[in-house]
Amino acid sequence: MKELDKEVKVKVKRFSEEKGTWWQEYTVKVDKYTQMTEVLKRIKEEQDPTLSYRASCHMAVCGSCGMRINGAPRLACRTIALEEVDRTGSDTIVVEPMDGYPVLKDLVVDLTDFYNRMYKVKPRLHPSEDVLKGKSEHRLKPEDQSRLWKFAQCIWCGLCVSSCPAVRIDVEFLGPAAHAKGYRFLSDPRDTSFEERAKVLIDSAWRCTYCYMCYEVCPRDIEPVEAIKLTRTYTTKFGPTGDASSFGERHSKAVEESIAETGMLQGGKVYVKTYGLVNSLISMIELMKDGKATKLIMERQKKVRGIDELRKLLGEKQ
Amino acid sequence: MKLAYYPGCTAHGSAVEIDVATRKVAQTLGVELKEVEDWNCCGGGFLDERDPVGHAAINLRNLSKVEKMGLEKMVTPCSVCLHSHRLAVHKYEEDPVLKEEVDKRTQGTTVQYSGKANAEHIVWVLLRDVGLEKIKAAVKKPLVGLKVATYYGCQMLRPGEVMGFEDPHSPHSLADLVAAVGATPVTFPAMTYCCGFPLMGSNEKGGLRLAYNIMKGARDAGADLLIHPCSLCHLQLDVTQVKVRDMFSLDWTMPAIYATQLLALAFGFSPEEVQLGRNAAEVLRQKGLI
Repeated sequence: MKELDKEVKVKVKRFSEEKGTWWQEYTVKVDKYTQMTEVLKRIKEEQDPTLSYRASCHMAVCGSCGMRINGAPRLACRTIALEEVDRTGSDTIVVEPMDGYPVLKDLVVDLTDFYNRMYKVKPRLHPSEDVLKGKSEHRLKPEDQSRLWKFAQCIWCGLCVSSCPAVRIDVEFLGPAAHAKGYRFLSDPRDTSFEERAKVLIDSAWRCTYCYMCYEVCPRDIEPVEAIKLTRTYTTKFGPTGDASSFGERHSKAVEESIAETGMLQGGKVYVKTYGLVNSLISMIELMKDGKATKLIMERQKKVRGIDELRKLLGEKQ
Repeated sequence: MKLAYYPGCTAHGSAVEIDVATRKVAQTLGVELKEVEDWNCCGGGFLDERDPVGHAAINLRNLSKVEKMGLEKMVTPCSVCLHSHRLAVHKYEEDPVLKEEVDKRTQGTTVQYSGKANAEHIVWVLLRDVGLEKIKAAVKKPLVGLKVATYYGCQMLRPGEVMGFEDPHSPHSLADLVAAVGATPVTFPAMTYCCGFPLMGSNEKGGLRLAYNIMKGARDAGADLLIHPCSLCHLQLDVTQVKVRDMFSLDWTMPAIYATQLLALAFGFSPEEVQLGRNAAEVLRQKGLI
């Protein structure tokens, strides 16, 4: 063993249709450069050929090696074994398949649901007739290119969808990766399918919870939640396309108006503007059961004294 | 220790108990909270998409006031306010186009932000600047036998590069506080998931479903109640919990209280003094703790 080599224990959550789920531990020698894909390769080649996992490029381009490493959704190739030991303070590295997808074998999951989400947003450019016939060529301004670049970097690894809480509870939400891809084409000046894309994307965008899990786990720093926020801004121009975008737009507008009016967020007022007086009263009656309704009514917020300055900071919106 | 204090709209409105308990805890531990004068709303998590420049500008207005107070840390009990201010600073520093636009808007106003001040969560300040030893020493009524689920939610943790206090995938700040007051911390898989509040304006049923996942997760892990670090989690998990119970026909409750409410109880304040909700008070009574 070289001086810098260390032994780590790797605890893998395994699964096969015949045997079900079980945990298996391996011991592997690593140095400070050893990626988790290399760890898994050594286990498979030197200790246990029955271990199944996906990996290909080992450089965060192919998107094959998504899994949970010590509880965090990660690409195995971008995870250095000894950095995990440092992060957790334990010599044992726990490796599990990605959450949210059916497990086929060991660390290999079925990504059909992920691909279906991506296909729903038609993840390719729809050029104009003239471009297709060779009568003109595509032009893209540098500022558009730089805006779109980030959202075009998706490698379809599925980590963001695997960790997204909204995907789990809402079949109408497309999920973060599809939204990043969708926005990339929705706002591409060369694309000709704006209306079709807007219909697919706008309402779904209002079904995101802004939990920033996708921002956190994306190995390509795409920040899908930012694409979702940008997609929501199309609601004002295009109009809502369903209940979520209809309520959501009203709610966001009410928040903006409340701040411009008083400098504060007046929760009760925003709720009434979003859901209407009748629904708000019904909610209020419900809250009385826990003795909470009076708190909402008794809000004691004051208006910001520097409201004129605040309005200037908001671009003089009133 | 003197710190700038930003309660946020909700702690000055429908979740005033958060403000009350936070001030009591700070006072007990010798932390002087100096409220930022004439502070404004952070945007509530929604303004940045409609007006990114305005969002950054109004958050910098608060931080500029903190700098004028000669302070750098602006402590807040609300994760959304924390997130909003820190994200505004992050974008202002990282995006030169946005910075130019924000600087144009702030011209001729009182806003002069040098980049020194930033928002801090009260939990971070308690752990890093006050320290567990001092907290333990202030405990008059150890909450022995109380199983407390530690719910972190989203915005205090993520994005990790912007929040920067603890590992967003395996946080333990709240568990450290729970253990310090003699109670038993209970972790559960959903402790870093969303409470659903941000969905309440667009997909209420979805939001309530997410809240149910948190309540059920805490209950399945054997908790008596849960603590959280956010004014808006408080609205979702405490104030509107009754809606979750109706939607899922539940015959049980999972009291959700703010982190400093728990600390204040252990420091000897009464349930009335920290405006504890009736469900939480009932649990403490059953446990013989009040």
